[in-house]
Amino acid sequence: MKNGKFLIAPLLLWLGIFFAIPLLIVVVVSFAGRTPYGQVIFNWTLENYVRFFEPLYLSIFADTLWVAVLTTVFTIILGYPLAYYIAQLPKKWQQPGLILVMIPFWINFLIRSFAWVIILRSQGVLNTLLIKLGFITAPLQLLYNDTAVMVGMVYSLLPFMVLPIYVSLEQLDRRLLEAAYDLGATPFTAFRKITLPLTLSGISEGTILVFISSLGMFIVPEIMGGAKAALVGNLIQNQFLSARNWPFGSALSIVLAILSLVLITIYYKALAAGKGGGKDA
Amino acid sequence: MKKLFILLSALLVLAVAGCGGDSKQSTSGGEPQVLNLYSWADNFDPAVIEKFEKTYNCRVNYDVFANNEELLAKIQAGGALYDVIQPSDYMVTTMRKLGLLEELDKKALPNTQNLVADLRSPSFDPEGKHSVVYAWGITGIIYNKKYVKEIPETWSALWKPEYRGRVILLNDNREVIGMALKKHGRSNNSTDPAAVKEAVDDLKQLAPHVLAFDTDTIKQKFIAEEAWIGTIWSGDASFVYKENKDVAFLVPKEGTTIWADTLAIPKGAKHKELAHKFINFLYDPKISAQNYEYIGYSDPNEKAVPYHSKEYNDDPILKVGAAAIASGEWLTDIGPALPMYDRYWTELKTGK
Amino acid sequence: MPKTWRNHALLAYALAILAFLYLPLMILALYSFNESRINAVWSGFTVNWYASLFNNRRVLEALTNSLVVACISTVVSTVLGTTGAMALNRYKYRFKAAINGLLYLPILIPEIVMGLSLLVLFSQTAIPLGKVSLILAHITFCVSFVVITVNSRLEGMEAELEAAAADLYATPLQTFRYVTLPLAMPGIIAGALIAFTLSIDDFVISFFVAGPNSTTLPLYIYAMVKRGISPEINALSTLMMLTTVLLIILAHLLQGSPKKASPADE
Repeated sequence: MKNGKFLIAPLLLWLGIFFAIPLLIVVVVSFAGRTPYGQVIFNWTLENYVRFFEPLYLSIFADTLWVAVLTTVFTIILGYPLAYYIAQLPKKWQQPGLILVMIPFWINFLIRSFAWVIILRSQGVLNTLLIKLGFITAPLQLLYNDTAVMVGMVYSLLPFMVLPIYVSLEQLDRRLLEAAYDLGATPFTAFRKITLPLTLSGISEGTILVFISSLGMFIVPEIMGGAKAALVGNLIQNQFLSARNWPFGSALSIVLAILSLVLITIYYKALAAGKGGGKDA
Repeated sequence: MKKLFILLSALLVLAVAGCGGDSKQSTSGGEPQVLNLYSWADNFDPAVIEKFEKTYNCRVNYDVFANNEELLAKIQAGGALYDVIQPSDYMVTTMRKLGLLEELDKKALPNTQNLVADLRSPSFDPEGKHSVVYAWGITGIIYNKKYVKEIPETWSALWKPEYRGRVILLNDNREVIGMALKKHGRSNNSTDPAAVKEAVDDLKQLAPHVLAFDTDTIKQKFIAEEAWIGTIWSGDASFVYKENKDVAFLVPKEGTTIWADTLAIPKGAKHKELAHKFINFLYDPKISAQNYEYIGYSDPNEKAVPYHSKEYNDDPILKVGAAAIASGEWLTDIGPALPMYDRYWTELKTGK
Repeated sequence: MPKTWRNHALLAYALAILAFLYLPLMILALYSFNESRINAVWSGFTVNWYASLFNNRRVLEALTNSLVVACISTVVSTVLGTTGAMALNRYKYRFKAAINGLLYLPILIPEIVMGLSLLVLFSQTAIPLGKVSLILAHITFCVSFVVITVNSRLEGMEAELEAAAADLYATPLQTFRYVTLPLAMPGIIAGALIAFTLSIDDFVISFFVAGPNSTTLPLYIYAMVKRGISPEINALSTLMMLTTVLLIILAHLLQGSPKKASPADE
């Protein structure tokens, strides 16, 4: 079975060629400068990284992190019960259930977002409904604010939470739960002591997928937030698509990647420590 | 477990079936030449393209981009993929500076003489060596008469407190900062730090009033009356007017920005002759009329007027735009000042 | 039994979330019958967009391109990712941290940077921009998601089962075929679903690596925004939704029928 070790080779080779080499180019560019007309010149400077530490850009990073944390929390709150529900369905219904959750995300992202605009805008479906039912008299401003951005983010990232949680719930040995009930555990205790710890791996994978994806989001703030809030994704996008400052854009991307990597490492360490601590208690 | 694979293979079969059906169409009539066109979406009447394909026995491959910088990145990456491209005004300057455009053969383009005089020598390409203006428009104020009772004759109308939360600005740093520069009686291409700072400080007062920054879906916001007043391009204003007769459009006294999408041939294009034929074809008065009836923007072709419908010739908003053409100033590539604009833009968006 | 009460509550919650997921789709489908070309407000009922959709050569080409690219990249990235995840899970590697970094980084890098850097790579290595470059790029951004999803499944799996199979003289291939693969399958399917979903809706990376004749549906739609997305796209989305649901039902029925019957059907 020694040869099996090389099964990882195709994957590494692929990522080496199509990811690591291009990434190296990005790293190199992040230390470059730009000509007045946006051409990259290789004059080896730290300027792009120094610029990141200006309060303006730091505050954008802080805002983005906060939005990402909130998005992750909300997707867990919404996604876990849904995944739980699908996982306890009879086997033959689980896959259709899962695909049912995924279908909305095969429809183009922009079209979906514009549908949200039609629902939430001042003369939109929701406001009209609320007025007709007599709950409000004047339309609420539901769009082009932080709440709308959050709705859009949670909506578009929900499947990345549901899938991993489902996968971990699906392999949960239900006999453990039966045993717990037999021993007189309340459903809540059983959930907290058995289900939750055993599905922590699913939650953590989901957290990583959602958290990271929300850090780079830029279209949701544009459409649902009226392009008023600048998140890191928008900032990076602007460097490439309007400021024509590829070096600064590259530096911001590298910083974002390193930051995510650090956060993930801390998160995993904390998770491991938490698991260890749980056993002692 | 196999369900997913059944699903995937079913999709694949559908897709391949689609491909097969498509290739059958193009087999008749020898080996037609291909024109690779790279443009904004929906920028031509499909019937006009079909007519060109029939007349010159060729196939037009129409691919789309959504942003000038994306176009630049693709052309810079090289490979001479396209024969005709559509850079906007300032991007023509940039591409000329970078030597990315072929010089046009004027002799092969007699129909371009039909252009309105004001558009024949734009500042971004004064001799028209590398580009021909195709679609153009002017930035003005759009407002809904139901909510905005006083005619907004100057840019400062946007700052009025009663429109708080109902103002839309274009989502483009050059347009918005340029507008504020014009308000203060300066050039929209100003690179003077003091002038730009003054304009931006003024905009920071306006930012809290803004409902949204929007360029692409601004039309929907005015049609659905989410917004009352804002900056908009004349062609889009005309769209809105067709769906909502309560809106009006005007160009403020202080002057404004004028923009254009052009037709150009990238360096190293493989079908240069056909590309020239295509450009020339588009400025044929009859073709031009048909084309602009479809796309709905102002026709820059003087000779096309008699071929347009009465409705098009009488469009009040396109008329306002055409009358204001002389008060417009083209955006040029501001080169070294671009990072300053970008920084101010980020400040405006974050409110810092 | 409190259990049934709990199940009802869970069902209600799941249905509410499904409603949240499908609400925009209902609106989207409704607006495919809207007369207005620009689709801002409701202006009257029509089915014309469905008719004109089938005459729109460019939309149909874009759809075809999207499906071809998504299917091929899903299959390749699932195979690549699954083998990689299994090897990673089973064997000890030196430089494990570096390997993990390489696996996670594609998710961490903003799409636009990946798109641009791939554009530079392809143009420097003379790989022509078109469907091939699109597929290469899509596999690259999908594969990490597959590895992570499959890996989370494998981590929860008991290694003893494989050991037991080996004790019973199963060949490595048999162990893989009859023990490892079936156990890992839910993770693999979830990974494939994520890959397909990412690929079919990708815009940013596709933009940079697409060339002549390889416009995908998202590219086409994004470019349309400037002029206003035509209700034809709503019509297309509605049809895609219905087709997918039908295919799922069909696949379910096919699989549900007794195994003996299926060869006879063909």
